[in-house]
Amino acid sequence: MRVVVAEDLFLLRDGMVRLVEAHGHSVVAAVDSGPATLDALVNERPDVAIVDVRLPPTFSDEGLQAALAARRVLPGLPVLILSQHVEQLYARELLADGHGGVGYQLKDRVLDAGQFMDALNRVADGGTALDPTVVAKLLGRPMRADPLATLTERERSVLALMAEGLSNAAIAGRLFLSEGAISKYTTTIFAKLGLAADDDTNRRVRAVLTYLGAGGQDDQ
Amino acid sequence: MRLPAVGGPLRWCSETALGLYRSAVLVGLTGVIPAVGLVVGLGGSEVAYSWSDGSTASWFVRALAALGETLMVIVWIAVAAWITHLLVSRTLSQAARQRAEHWLGMRIQAEYRPVPPITRMATGYWWDGKEYHRSEREARRRARMNARFHDPQLQWDGLWAVVAAGAVLPVAALPLVGLVGGLYMTLASGLVGYGIAVMAASLVGAPFAWRIFGPLAARFLGPAPRSLLGRRVEELEAIRADLTQTQAAELERIERGLHDGAQARLVAMGMSMGAAEQLVDTDPEAAKRILADARATSATALAELRSLVRGINPPVLAERGLVDAVRALALDAPVEVTVNSAVPSRPERPVESAVYFAVAELLANVAKHAQASEVTVELGYAKETLTATVTDDGVGGAAASEGSGLSGIERRMTAFGGCLEIESPTGGPTHITVAVPCALS
Repeated sequence: MRVVVAEDLFLLRDGMVRLVEAHGHSVVAAVDSGPATLDALVNERPDVAIVDVRLPPTFSDEGLQAALAARRVLPGLPVLILSQHVEQLYARELLADGHGGVGYQLKDRVLDAGQFMDALNRVADGGTALDPTVVAKLLGRPMRADPLATLTERERSVLALMAEGLSNAAIAGRLFLSEGAISKYTTTIFAKLGLAADDDTNRRVRAVLTYLGAGGQDDQ
Repeated sequence: MRLPAVGGPLRWCSETALGLYRSAVLVGLTGVIPAVGLVVGLGGSEVAYSWSDGSTASWFVRALAALGETLMVIVWIAVAAWITHLLVSRTLSQAARQRAEHWLGMRIQAEYRPVPPITRMATGYWWDGKEYHRSEREARRRARMNARFHDPQLQWDGLWAVVAAGAVLPVAALPLVGLVGGLYMTLASGLVGYGIAVMAASLVGAPFAWRIFGPLAARFLGPAPRSLLGRRVEELEAIRADLTQTQAAELERIERGLHDGAQARLVAMGMSMGAAEQLVDTDPEAAKRILADARATSATALAELRSLVRGINPPVLAERGLVDAVRALALDAPVEVTVNSAVPSRPERPVESAVYFAVAELLANVAKHAQASEVTVELGYAKETLTATVTDDGVGGAAASEGSGLSGIERRMTAFGGCLEIESPTGGPTHITVAVPCALS
């Protein structure tokens, strides 16, 4: 895969470049500022980009803004956002365009190379890889009058793991159930959320988007 | 003095008598300085105009002399009035304040400067708060004099004396003068009809004449503006003390969090890695286990640092500013929170942070006490003031009692010149507004 890395701390950037290259991918650009990130994303069109939220020159959310801007130009451009803190607000903004191919993880996850590369691959394939802490916060959300209210406790936990980007097999492993049971659950979830059957990955992403109430309905 | 509750002539008589009595008291309270001025003026003109009496100079020189003498008399009157004011203004003003409270129920607070304590310096001199003196007695005397005569309140009382002499005295004295004048006309001048008419008019006016005292007292008997400033300084000093306290506590909290948390864990990690280094050749399995432990420790240390940072400066606030930070708060709240904002741009960082933490605390309060199902946060900016209103449909009855979270918010807002308004009837709904004056960039 062709990868772009945007991170302002040299040590971390260097570490990520090594990690990605060790797994047999090529880093086509390693940048350390907001404007450079946007350029790299739009010009290189990488298979996946790893972007830090807070970048110079302003140290506000330049990385996130660059990723969002690039995805407006190139819809569905896969981006894995890394940050010291994960915020629901940012997760919603990333998922709002409904194209999937989005990851949002704590920087600590880089420490576990296997999991990190997993997440990177899922995002590159157009899936989602949300940090469990974001998902936990979403689970703690008050119930609104939406289709989610019709889901059972068990279905909600399956959907939560789906949001993290796990496959059916991995979800089965986490919940100590058979894979067959999980695929039954996913079918029910899709039905309850009124998602027509098309290709499964896309449907999974759309389920997650529904789950997040994407589109930022409550803060316009 | 109680008035009889019956109407008619009895009540009218008592009101008239009361009015006359109060007029007399007011004349006594306001007439001292004019009386002194009058005596000095009359005596002074006797003396002064005698100087040029019988002079045979040209009319021009005589006119100049008369002018000089007149100026002289004016100077004497002014000096006499000034000295009298220094000596009696305080007493008279205090008496007038007492009357205002007795007659009209007006509580007028004015504070006079207390005599400051004197201190003996290492040099042997005595310090009275302004200057040094050789002897203790002298220092005490000067401290007393300063407190008494250099008090801004005394100057303000002087203004009251002028207003009283110019407005209260003539009006309050009217019924009395009318009575005496009317009596004189009736008995001495033989103008009986006129005299009786004047006396009747005075008696009719008596219940009302003294009332001019009320509005003027409210305007001029209060604390001196300069002592208002002094009070503001005291308030600000209290706020500053509060701020330094909270800042110290905050630093201590951060220091403790780092010391007992992340720092300790990093030490432990270093030790684990040292142990792993030792074991890596002899017992690689054990070394791997230790390294896995170390990684778990580092994750915990990071989580601790993260929550500490969130308490100092929440990331969304740093990255996006107040409005989005409040939106992020709303998303994390356990109840459904709607955020509406009409804030055109980012306010200054300190103000932003203060308002953010206030809203965070208000939302936490709602979650804890209100049993609300719907919460709204309105952010607005108007008339140079940033406001945040948190509305909930909960049980109500919120109050900023001493030591409560709300009074803490109030204190922090005061530090920014802002305020907290609570409108929370029992049964709800509750509106709590935080307002801070600030300029938007």
